[in-house]
Amino acid sequence: MSSHLLTLLVFASLVSVVFATLLREDRRPRFRFFLMSLGAFVLSAVVVGWLMYRFPS
Amino acid sequence: MERERVIVDERRAGAALPACLFAWLVPGAGHLYLGRIGKGLVFLGAIGALFVLGVAMDAGLQMHLGFDDPLAFLRSLAQMALGVPYFLARALGFEAGKVTSVTYEYGNTFTEVGGLLNILVILDAYDVAVGRKP
Repeated sequence: MSSHLLTLLVFASLVSVVFATLLREDRRPRFRFFLMSLGAFVLSAVVVGWLMYRFPS
Repeated sequence: MERERVIVDERRAGAALPACLFAWLVPGAGHLYLGRIGKGLVFLGAIGALFVLGVAMDAGLQMHLGFDDPLAFLRSLAQMALGVPYFLARALGFEAGKVTSVTYEYGNTFTEVGGLLNILVILDAYDVAVGRKP
């Protein structure tokens, strides 16, 4: 897997699936939690990545 | 009624130890043992994928026991929480990984996080076994 973004998406998806299955029992809340967790992972990675780009040293 | 509840509680407590042991040996197996087939398969698929992808990305699976390098020790503990897949991969020669690989650290992260998630899954299996969770 040579794409950083694809690696991030795969990692965030798999971890979010486990978190959602552990923390929510019903199907709908579980799916919502999965989406929220995935979004939080991706957004925070992009924000931190952007900050590191702006302040490389 | 009370006697029935006591019998059920004893059965659940008796299932807790094997459930936790199975959950450690194979991710999701504890839930499969407890009859939570859907959850067990999700854990097996997701954590198994994290581990397989991590090994495919040249992760190092060295067993580092001892406090001379505390971070390496913690990393080993996290990976060992994956149970049989970790020991099987080591036995098959994936122990060293490939330090020069671009994806080496990604692979380490995938396998370590997979192990840490499996610790949460083991605790969840315990909760299910003793009746704290449905």
